[in-house]
Amino acid sequence: MKPKINLHSSVSKQLCTPAQHVLSRRRLLGATAASGLLGMDGLGGLVHPLVADELSQSNKQVLFIWIDGGMSQLESWDPKPNTKFGGPFRSIQTSLPGVRISELMPKTAEIMHLLALDRGVTTVDNSHSAGVPRIQRGDPKDRGVIYPYFGSAVAKLMGQGNSQLPPYIWVKPGSGGFKYQDAGFLGPRYGALAIGDGQPPPNLLLPETLNHDDNSSRNRLRNFANAQYAAGRNPIFGEAQSFVFDSAQALMNRQALFADPDPADVELYGDTELGRDMLIGRKMLEAGVRFVKVNSYGWDTHGDNFNGHASLMPRFDQSFTAIVLDLQQRGMLDNTLVVAMSEFGRTPRINGHVGRDHWPEAWSIVMTGTGIRRGVVIGETNKTGIFVENDAHDIGDFFHTWFSALGIDSSKTEYLNNGQPLPIAHDECGPIKGLLT
Amino acid sequence: MTSLRISLGMTIIIAVALSGISLARGAELHTAIDHLVEESADGMFAAQANDYEFLRRLFLDLTGEIPASVDVNKFAADTTANKRTIMIDRLLRDDRYARRMSELFNVMLMERRGTDPAWNRFLVDSFKSNRHWDSMVETIIEPDLTNESEQGAGYFLTKRLEKYGQNPTDHPGLASDIGRLFMGVDLACAQCHDHLFVDDYSQSDFQGLFAFVSNTFIRSDTEFPAIGQKVMKIPLEFQSVFEEEMFTTGPRIPGGTELEVPEYDKDNEFAIAPDPKSKAPGVPVFNPLHYLSTTLPTAKNAQFQTNLVNRLWASMMGRGLVWPLDLHHSDNPASHPELLSLLASEFVKHDFDIKWFIRELALTKTYQRSSILQTPTSTVQKAEAEYRVFREKALSPEQLMWSILKATAAKTRYPIELDDEQKLENTLPTTIDQVQEQFIASFANPPREPEVEFAPSVRGSLFLLNSELVQSWVNVGGNNSTEQVLRISDNAEVVNSLYYTVLSRPATSFELKQMREFLVSNSDRPEAIGQLVWALMSCNEFLINH
Repeated sequence: MKPKINLHSSVSKQLCTPAQHVLSRRRLLGATAASGLLGMDGLGGLVHPLVADELSQSNKQVLFIWIDGGMSQLESWDPKPNTKFGGPFRSIQTSLPGVRISELMPKTAEIMHLLALDRGVTTVDNSHSAGVPRIQRGDPKDRGVIYPYFGSAVAKLMGQGNSQLPPYIWVKPGSGGFKYQDAGFLGPRYGALAIGDGQPPPNLLLPETLNHDDNSSRNRLRNFANAQYAAGRNPIFGEAQSFVFDSAQALMNRQALFADPDPADVELYGDTELGRDMLIGRKMLEAGVRFVKVNSYGWDTHGDNFNGHASLMPRFDQSFTAIVLDLQQRGMLDNTLVVAMSEFGRTPRINGHVGRDHWPEAWSIVMTGTGIRRGVVIGETNKTGIFVENDAHDIGDFFHTWFSALGIDSSKTEYLNNGQPLPIAHDECGPIKGLLT
Repeated sequence: MTSLRISLGMTIIIAVALSGISLARGAELHTAIDHLVEESADGMFAAQANDYEFLRRLFLDLTGEIPASVDVNKFAADTTANKRTIMIDRLLRDDRYARRMSELFNVMLMERRGTDPAWNRFLVDSFKSNRHWDSMVETIIEPDLTNESEQGAGYFLTKRLEKYGQNPTDHPGLASDIGRLFMGVDLACAQCHDHLFVDDYSQSDFQGLFAFVSNTFIRSDTEFPAIGQKVMKIPLEFQSVFEEEMFTTGPRIPGGTELEVPEYDKDNEFAIAPDPKSKAPGVPVFNPLHYLSTTLPTAKNAQFQTNLVNRLWASMMGRGLVWPLDLHHSDNPASHPELLSLLASEFVKHDFDIKWFIRELALTKTYQRSSILQTPTSTVQKAEAEYRVFREKALSPEQLMWSILKATAAKTRYPIELDDEQKLENTLPTTIDQVQEQFIASFANPPREPEVEFAPSVRGSLFLLNSELVQSWVNVGGNNSTEQVLRISDNAEVVNSLYYTVLSRPATSFELKQMREFLVSNSDRPEAIGQLVWALMSCNEFLINH
């Protein structure tokens, strides 16, 4: 049952403050990950290890753009100008004949022929705290385990490739660090390495008094000591601790990733937080990182939705267009799956604060790159944008679609957790053929 | 009232009353804890920790740092039967106990928002004099500003009212933190409507708590952090975003009764009138904070009783009986409900005496169990959940700093005196406080994020790998550990000495053999010993409290 939203609320304070949402969201992740660790061996495997070997040789990569808080489909991919809930913005023609998107995305309109858009997304959860993990885990059937986020899943299924860099890097505003909670039952080594605020980690250079050989030698000693400690103990802590040392070492070997950006790139991507992070994302992909997630925060526009989107959308429009074209020019788009999405869309109805609330019933997801058909729009919402008219797709369908685009047969590939085979995506969903090449 | 008899070699009677479970006269809490843990477990138990593992764990938990190698040697050689109990009592009397506890409580209560000298003084003085928890909380909410030891206690409130970034003054956040940290309930998501998936958390609970602090502000007339209150004239109005109806509430502690907001003439609103000269804001006759300070931290408040015992249990045993620590509610029951109930009632019986409680936990077999259990990895989590094996714990940034300073023998350098020329060139910290800032920057969570999960970071690894500071402690100099063992010629003795100093135990014969070979194969002896020191203080065994 959905709670009825009071459109005429005179509550002067906003809903929970963004800080509290971030906090409770993180805390929930922590809680669920921890309870998910119970009863599993921390070394979740695959039913068919040979498949994993093959996938690890694949050069396919993922750019996952996470628009946290909920981008409004009406102010972006699925505008309904001149309708009851359409809001003040117009729609514009795109490079794809007959397809119009919001006027807030003029640059994206020019690359529409490169994209695949699904306007028929219907999901279940309308809260951030449950929705973010639920969506990023692909909302699989409950089997009493905590599923990995998409990034951790790809890290597990495809490995780190030849880059030596961590397979799952998360570029985001705010704190960096190692976010092992994303990995669920796969165990902490498949968690995300977060690059916070675009900052290279401090202490990236070896101290002057130490040369490369000394460093290898002291780390051999450390690894020897770790092996002595591990015997008879729960591997979780030790593995997580070792993983961050290994990642640190890999980053030390790739310092150029953190050099100041080329001014021409900054102009292209936009001199904004999201532009900066998207640029770091491209460098990470270029360096061979398997899965890069780029976060943008602050989209939860319960109040003043239209000014909010007028300010947020151009930053997305510019950086998103820049990275898609950049990947294409570098010949990387054919190997890279690109997805941009939120945890839900926003209500067509406009609330008393001129805002839009959470709306999982009918929203949009856009993608391009490897395995994805370009220049297609599927799914359709009704005239006021409240419901999907036909061809509704849940997040489980998208997970099948993306795995398929990456060359992973999601109907046959299974995780092996503690002897229990587990499907990698919701077993009652399937790939969306219209989006795949 | 019913009684149940438990046979444990000695007989303890545990009385189960309607109010919960309590200990019979003469029975000791630590024995009862072990019984309840053992009773609900299903499977093999780890052995008791050996003296080395026990001593290291105890030192980290009670003094905040690893033991000195001389303490390790002495303790291992001691044949006194009750030497563990004697050691527990010794460390509870140690000066470092107050430092450790104030660091623990500072992180728990302030969640890395910052630091303040008067607040630190309040914490240290509280733990030195073993101020009990009810008194601490009472003081935090309403300090006696004429008492120097209490002046900084208001920092808990004032710091949360400071603006940060573009955020408005966060009165709701303060209310929410009072619920989280003193009662173990996170009502933040019940601010605008009843909690969507915790039935026990209602919007009126949040709003009642919020009413206590909605009129507070930071005083500008004191040199230490202090809070003032505007006069509350009418009850707080609120409305759910899901309903039309308006509600009102006076200040109310969740589960308690609502305070009626009285009406006063404008002339009679203040018990102590504001003083325009000194800018002292005065004290209203209707004083919600006074009511909160005298009513929240009491034996009558069941949530106040269980919150801290659960948090201290988590600190000692690695995880709360209720988890997450601030989500006590009926759909998230304790893993060991009877145990939690017993801990709470005994804590109340001992007037919220933190030191007594920690002592009881340290005395348990549960606390003293080994962190090693030979069991398939698929079953180890279950063993941990049942406390059949000691659960590894993260080291706080403070514990890590004091332990590395001890392991490298670098602490005596501080403070470092520099002449003017040296000052210009120096890039390293010269005081312990500055050292601590670097550790917090490298290992602590960001502000407002609780430090309860084990979350090692690449940032921390890079600090250990590459920071000039850590390297300056490892390289020969200042009579540090590297320099001290450099004077020893026998390689086996070098290795063993470093294992005692850094890992608080002797090296095994295998370790001796490997490390000796390493030393022999390296011509640059100071460099090789430095590497050995570094490797031992950067390995998992050192970085984890086990």
